[in-house]
Amino acid sequence: MNCLEILTEARFTVTEVALRLEAMEATFAAAATGAPTGGAALFALNRNRNRNRNRNRNRNRNRNRNRTDAAGPDLAILEPWKERAKLHELVADWIDLPLAPPPEPDQLRDEALELLEKQYRLRLPEEAPRREEILTEAELELSRYLRPLGVETSGGYEATSHLMLVVMALTDEIGLRYKARWNLPRPNQVEPRLRPFIAQPAHASYPSNHSFQSFALAFLFCRLLPEHPASSELFRSARRIAENREWAGVHYASDTQAGYELARMVTPVLEEVLEPLMLAAQEEWF
Amino acid sequence: MTAYGQNETRPTYPAHDALWHLVMMGVLKPDHRPNGWTLPAPARPTRVALIDTSVARGHPNLEPALNEALAFDLFSTRFGAFPWREPDVALGNLGLGDSGALVAELPHCTALLVELKKRLRPDRMPRIGTIRPAAGPTFSAHGTAAAGLIAARPAREDALDAHLPGATGGRITLPYMGVDPSAELVPISTNFDPDPEALILAFLYADLIGADVIVLPRILPDPLRTVPELPAHDIAGAAFADAVAPSPLGQAQWEMWDELAQLIVNVSQRRPVVCAAGNANEEFGIYPANLADDDNGVIAVGAVNARGWPCSYSPASGLTIWGPSSDGERFDRAEIRLDERRHDYDPTGVPSENANHRFSPFSLIATDVPGRGGYATTPFAGPESDDGLREYGSYFCRFGGTSGAAALIGGFLSLGLSLGQWDRAAGGIAARTWLLAQASPLDAGRGDARVPVLGGGDPVFPDDSTP
Repeated sequence: MNCLEILTEARFTVTEVALRLEAMEATFAAAATGAPTGGAALFALNRNRNRNRNRNRNRNRNRNRNRTDAAGPDLAILEPWKERAKLHELVADWIDLPLAPPPEPDQLRDEALELLEKQYRLRLPEEAPRREEILTEAELELSRYLRPLGVETSGGYEATSHLMLVVMALTDEIGLRYKARWNLPRPNQVEPRLRPFIAQPAHASYPSNHSFQSFALAFLFCRLLPEHPASSELFRSARRIAENREWAGVHYASDTQAGYELARMVTPVLEEVLEPLMLAAQEEWF
Repeated sequence: MTAYGQNETRPTYPAHDALWHLVMMGVLKPDHRPNGWTLPAPARPTRVALIDTSVARGHPNLEPALNEALAFDLFSTRFGAFPWREPDVALGNLGLGDSGALVAELPHCTALLVELKKRLRPDRMPRIGTIRPAAGPTFSAHGTAAAGLIAARPAREDALDAHLPGATGGRITLPYMGVDPSAELVPISTNFDPDPEALILAFLYADLIGADVIVLPRILPDPLRTVPELPAHDIAGAAFADAVAPSPLGQAQWEMWDELAQLIVNVSQRRPVVCAAGNANEEFGIYPANLADDDNGVIAVGAVNARGWPCSYSPASGLTIWGPSSDGERFDRAEIRLDERRHDYDPTGVPSENANHRFSPFSLIATDVPGRGGYATTPFAGPESDDGLREYGSYFCRFGGTSGAAALIGGFLSLGLSLGQWDRAAGGIAARTWLLAQASPLDAGRGDARVPVLGGGDPVFPDDSTP
């Protein structure tokens, strides 16, 4: 039978609250269903969450009008034990991703020279904003991600912020495991003239966890909200954060690139682990 | 008009046919019979490559349309992975064409083509190492909607009667279809990283597999071409594009963006590249829709609502073609088009001379991710049952924007080819010429907007309701 004949047996009608499935009169009129003239009506009453016109930006629901701009979201979360357990169930899918080992010493020495140049330029007046960024980004904070999405000071996006914090927690562990594998010294241990602008973290250099975590958020959010105008901007934001760590003298450019590559490869695993949290976050946007 | 009080009932929205867009485009008659055509069964199905997010498997209307062997994911794997192939079975012969001529004088594209062809050799595996493809169904809403508008087929499916009222007899009829129910759809999924490499690879792959139509219902984040005015400006002696970038692009990146633009034009000479023109009244469309020109096969698609007006978010001129889509509200100096049926509509401050009469509440209905995920959710917790549908509401969604319109135009071109109305060997410009020959300008005052109608003639706009 030609599948197009199905179209003459029934049709979908869009009502205000439902997509109604109606049998065509010719097929089902006076059938035993006791349906009214016009055909049997099956129903669906599922909420349509989005008309998808890229208009879901910045709805600014302002549920928490009393909160000051500076406060931002609550950054304290419970240990995400459930998600961490799931992550460990899938360990085979993320523990040995094909990330290249760190570059050889010659290349690192070349990269260190670039860092020396950045170190000099960082002290110039025009780099004052970058200095401020570096200090802010040394601590856990979400403004660089929430601001492009337009919800930095808006209420109603708690699940979105929570998702970001759990991503940070899980990727922190993944990144540390890769760092431990190669145990690459920080740039100023290769080039002592480098004087890091901030305290040097007490773990290895490759890959950069700031890069990895920021890009992981960007990759995950373009699965979650590909229609959002900021879906590409989050990547630019991530790159800025990652490169700021080079300007601060605590990472090589190759650390940044490795963080990016690891984030890209690990996203499908994070998506499976975080699906419930992603769906909860999506509810805030659709 | 006054605002509705707390205890007042506002008028309801008019019920409408979920396939109104196909009737408007002359594909179906109002009784949903094909309008002068029969289901094509060409020796080689028309192959539509959809460069977008991933597409959900498991939708009964969509499943027969998907080419599961060729679906390609560039989101998580640099040179791509085949998400629906058995991971431990080598690719075999993919029947690839020759894309060498496309990349002549494009050195970065040439290098990437070499790598891509190596990756697609018959002895290579579908996945690289332990990298998973990023093509899970839950977060595949946009691609699933676009795919259904292009190529969904009417279907019957097992149903779990307990949750579906009426006598279903254990089967449910899903009378939905895309524009070309004979098309073969190849999803090519990418991420939204503003790096041209994956996009170059996506277009090269679409060409290698011999796609007949390429549909691109999204913007590409080119740093210059997204805002064509940028290159003409500088600030304090620096190029404006550099000055506003959070991180400077390297020379290679600039060159690759340039090459991608040329590659898209080159690909479009071989096959039409159908692009969404944007949802913010962008003059000449977003990138790469704004590459559309008489001497290439890039097709910039705007949107027209069910009342026959360009949608509020879509330009009325400067594009190639317009497709049906859901409308949106607008309240600015250029136009006031508001939905007076909206429950919280407030006429305060709305001038009496407005364009509210142009607003149409008709929605484009598209296929959606079944169950959880997607744009329309399900009342059932947990994954979908293998035993049949418990409901069908989560299988469809309201969709819109020029993404929806572009998918419909891509499907229309596909149907035209499946019916033998244009020749695949003639290339993208010939396809566009055929498309434009099916379309007449709308009434005066509606810009250059024109909607194609299969066999020609004027479109019939179904929304004649008054609020």
